[in-house]
Amino acid sequence: MTRAPDAKDGALLEVRELRKYFPVRGGILNRAVGWVQAVDDVDFDVLPGEVLGIVGESGCGKSTTARLLMHLIRADAGRIAFDGEAVRPDDAAGLRELRRRMQMVFQDSYSSLNPRLPIEDTIMFGPKVHGVSAAEARERARELFSLVGLDPAQFIRRYPHELSGGQRQRVNIARALALEPRLLILDEAVSALDKSVEAQVLNLLLTLRRELGLTYIFISHDLNVVQYMSDRVLVMYLGKVVEIGPTAEIYERMQHPYTEALLSAMPSMDPDRRTETPPLVGDPPNPIDPPPGCRFHTRCRFAESVCSRAEPRLGPAAGQDRANGAGHLVACHMRVAGSGHSQAPART
Amino acid sequence: MTAEATTPVLRAEDVTVRFTGRDATVNAVNGVSFTLDPGEVLCILGESGSGKSVTLRALMRLLPARRTQLSGRIELAGQDVMAMSHRALADLRGTEVGMIFQEPMVAFDPVYTVGRQITETIVRHEGTSREEARRRAIDLLDRVRIPSPERRLRAYPHELSGGMRQRAMIALALCCNPTLLLADEPTTALDATVQIQILLLLRELQRELGMAVIFVTHDVGVAVEIADRIAVMYGGKFMETGPVREIMRNPRHPYTQGLLSSTVHGSLRGKTLEAIPGSPPDMTRLPPGCAFAPRCRFAEPGCETPPAATQLTPQHMVRCIRAA
Repeated sequence: MTRAPDAKDGALLEVRELRKYFPVRGGILNRAVGWVQAVDDVDFDVLPGEVLGIVGESGCGKSTTARLLMHLIRADAGRIAFDGEAVRPDDAAGLRELRRRMQMVFQDSYSSLNPRLPIEDTIMFGPKVHGVSAAEARERARELFSLVGLDPAQFIRRYPHELSGGQRQRVNIARALALEPRLLILDEAVSALDKSVEAQVLNLLLTLRRELGLTYIFISHDLNVVQYMSDRVLVMYLGKVVEIGPTAEIYERMQHPYTEALLSAMPSMDPDRRTETPPLVGDPPNPIDPPPGCRFHTRCRFAESVCSRAEPRLGPAAGQDRANGAGHLVACHMRVAGSGHSQAPART
Repeated sequence: MTAEATTPVLRAEDVTVRFTGRDATVNAVNGVSFTLDPGEVLCILGESGSGKSVTLRALMRLLPARRTQLSGRIELAGQDVMAMSHRALADLRGTEVGMIFQEPMVAFDPVYTVGRQITETIVRHEGTSREEARRRAIDLLDRVRIPSPERRLRAYPHELSGGMRQRAMIALALCCNPTLLLADEPTTALDATVQIQILLLLRELQRELGMAVIFVTHDVGVAVEIADRIAVMYGGKFMETGPVREIMRNPRHPYTQGLLSSTVHGSLRGKTLEAIPGSPPDMTRLPPGCAFAPRCRFAEPGCETPPAATQLTPQHMVRCIRAA
């Protein structure tokens, strides 16, 4: 992907120093005895019209990030700007407007629909709240059903339990599109679907993106699906961004040892090229009181003393002249000249 | 190793499972037949509702007796499983046959330590002393790569991380040296970096102990990592079975072909995925003929009668009239 150096100015969504710590309560006074550092100083941009994939293992903060962007939970710190405008968390009208332009689809297609409402009413609900007349909302619901590939005549009065998982997820996509948003956050939106149905929904998402000019944040633990869907990929580990860049850069020229390990854990799909040694040993550490310095150093085969002392900052990857909005950035001491790591490049 | 020269660990013939309810009967498994050789790893690959997990449970008669109609023949190490008493079945589970599941918290009792549950199993099935059983338990935890096994023996299941719990469950399943391991999606809930560790561990233990394994999964990638032979299941039937290479390189059933082409991988980027239209069948109302016909792009009038199994080679079976 080529972009002008000033692409950064045109970001649809700008996220800076986003942070969320959840208290771990315990003891008789129910005081905070520790903190889950779910999202810690996360910076990234989402460019208009792109699909930004977010990958990482459970507990890495990818879903918390999504919820923070939607303001479903309140951030402890950080700035978010949508379309160049800062989002103020105490401005209720502003938040409602933000949620119109930014919608979310969740993993569990059943629990995100009201079981007592025919799906048509669920889809009409959002537009009506935002001041659209009932007749117009109904008309729009019919259009949306056709758009997501469900025949309105057949489906419109059905209840969620009368649909298959794939059909329900189509309804959720229609619901998310009802307010004509610019950005959709898809949080493991296809993960619960069977493979044959997942492919249908992925095709639908790419068609909708093309036809409606949508921008997606695509969160998934499935690295194959993320590679297929995304223009750029952001890799998270224990609440931190460890690497971000164009999809081909991340999948073919990854520079963070964690990204490398994560990608080589993908099954090969070739019986003659089975994985012989696991890329990592052990489980991801507990996000409560994560390791100091680089959070990955406890599992990294290149770790040296600097890695447990100092936290690496996200900076331009090797071969990248400068950090632009769409560049390849990595947070690893091995990539920083003069960091003190023996494999770091010489200072120029 | 030729099939004729060895006695199979397991022989299943025309296994059929129906669940009867007030309103409907679910035809979960509709005539599954196969044999499993010692040391062989068979993966049953299928989507949700295909009957793969029910098949696995039927082999050990683990389904609720009151609402289940189970028929067919199941022979395990020469014994007729269908004719066994409950007591005899209980002895078989845990000795000849070990089982592991997707959710290790169900396999463990939350109120006893991991060590107590493993040692108790050994004492119950083999009548060894508690001391000897404890030594074996430590050895087992070490074998499944649980660090500081002596300390972990005193841990309760909830105190272990997801991957550790899965390892502990494998140790529990292996504690009486089973000849057959039944695995129901044991890596599905795990993160990618942990999943591959568990798969490699299972592969290594399987080789070392010479166990036969039936591994149920919905994930083609997982099946390719572990299987010798793959059985593709749809609508309660094995639609295609064959050696893993054969299934991956020369899939002959339209469903297998569709499943492989709709499994996303990076090289498909920029192309529209070849998805299978429609959704999996309603198991209470299966079509009379081939269950896949309503979604199949090659469907023809002949598909309205159930297709017979065609042996393309002695190892490769496909259930489709186009192959006959």
